[in-house]
Amino acid sequence: MPILIVVIAVVILIPILIYNSLIARKNQVLNVFATIDAMLKKRYDLLPNLVATVRGYMRHERALLEEVTQMRADALSDRISDDEKVDLDNKVTKVLGRIMLAVENYPDLKASDNFMHLQRTLTELEEQISAARRAYNAAVTDYNNAVEMFPTNIVASMMNYKRRMFFEISEKERESVDIAKNLHN
Amino acid sequence: MKTLDDLKRFYETILAADLNVLENRRRAILRKLTCIGAGIAILAVIFLLASGLASGSFLPAMMAPVVIAVVIFAFVAHLLNKGYVIEFKSAIIYKIVRFIDENLSYYPDRRIPRSTFMASEIFKTRPNRYKGDDYVAGKVGATQIEFSELHAVYESGTGKNKSRRTVFKGLFFNADFNKHFTCRVVVLPDTAEKLFGGFGKILQSWNLTRDRLIKLEDPEFEHHFAVYGNDQIQARYILSTSLMARIVDFKQKTNRKIYLSFVGSRVFVAVSYTRNLFEPRLFRTILNFELVREYFEDLQLAIGIVDDLNLNTRIWSKQ
Repeated sequence: MPILIVVIAVVILIPILIYNSLIARKNQVLNVFATIDAMLKKRYDLLPNLVATVRGYMRHERALLEEVTQMRADALSDRISDDEKVDLDNKVTKVLGRIMLAVENYPDLKASDNFMHLQRTLTELEEQISAARRAYNAAVTDYNNAVEMFPTNIVASMMNYKRRMFFEISEKERESVDIAKNLHN
Repeated sequence: MKTLDDLKRFYETILAADLNVLENRRRAILRKLTCIGAGIAILAVIFLLASGLASGSFLPAMMAPVVIAVVIFAFVAHLLNKGYVIEFKSAIIYKIVRFIDENLSYYPDRRIPRSTFMASEIFKTRPNRYKGDDYVAGKVGATQIEFSELHAVYESGTGKNKSRRTVFKGLFFNADFNKHFTCRVVVLPDTAEKLFGGFGKILQSWNLTRDRLIKLEDPEFEHHFAVYGNDQIQARYILSTSLMARIVDFKQKTNRKIYLSFVGSRVFVAVSYTRNLFEPRLFRTILNFELVREYFEDLQLAIGIVDDLNLNTRIWSKQ
């Protein structure tokens, strides 16, 4: 009789534990994604400062600056989906890289305190965003393992949990820190 | 960065003269010790014979004079050696430290305080016997550093039940880290995963005395270390992909057990040693380049952490 109770308890307990662990993993993924979102917002908040600082110096890159201003407006509008957010973020990273490279042609700007401070803050944010992406990928790996591995995959399919995509950490992005380093040297 | 050739030149032009003076001092101490040792031994034998003849039996009376003689000899040897050690360190180790970097100060009898040792959060046990010496501090480039040799022991029980456990013995280093952060990250040598593979990882995640296990994506780093921290994202901000590679290189270069932690915007590094560091030898000659080279390499290992972990790169908002 006691054995039967133990067996029934285990049979009930295992699905509950699996269910809860799946929810915990899903929430971990959502939580890290929210952090990335917050960091991206922080970066968008810096963009007007950056544009204001460089506008006085940069004569030939007006289009680039307008592009970045437009992207910021798009990113902060409410209608944008998560996928579009990621896409826009990639574009902003690229344009920022181009602006930073263009700064090379303006030694006065490069040496100004205001710009140097902005550049340090941006480099720091870039690296924080990259860390958050790595954390997101780690959380997604945990989640995907649970969705695909036996026996958690049975409960996962009942809950309609699907594999999630990783954030791509492109080579370009890894270089963004190096660009800043080169500028300093 | 100073090379071995630089050191050789430095040894020949500057250190050799100092070492000669100290070598004479060492020989004088040895002569003194031999005389005193012989004197004490003769006294002990006389006393032994006298007490043996008086009591008619040697055995019980034998122990006392021998023990007293050994204790007196050890005490005298300690006193003589102490002066010599301080003199040696102030002359030789001090000069090697300044040779490596002029901005560093050296204090032979100071150490990293216990509060700093505990603040690193690397070791959970609070040692009740805490010793250390050879404290070095100063600025290497833009980075403030300090380190010393430490020997931290935890003693428990009394009498026959007394047990001693070494918490840490070796070099303990800490420096200002080049990025701002507010979390706590501890990087420990990975024993469980090396022994049990994937199951070891599960064991690590059950470690209740630590924060949550942080699984990083560098397989080689994960093979050597287990990382615990209270913030998944900031931990990755600190342990960037390049820093992980640098830590693995450092581990391979030293080939020792190393522990790291990142707390309060500082980095702590503990490198395990079994031998005593920066001590002069009394019973063998000190006129030997290899000896100087050993001091140099041990010091360079600690001071070089700044370059090894790239702490002088200040491209973030912390300057």
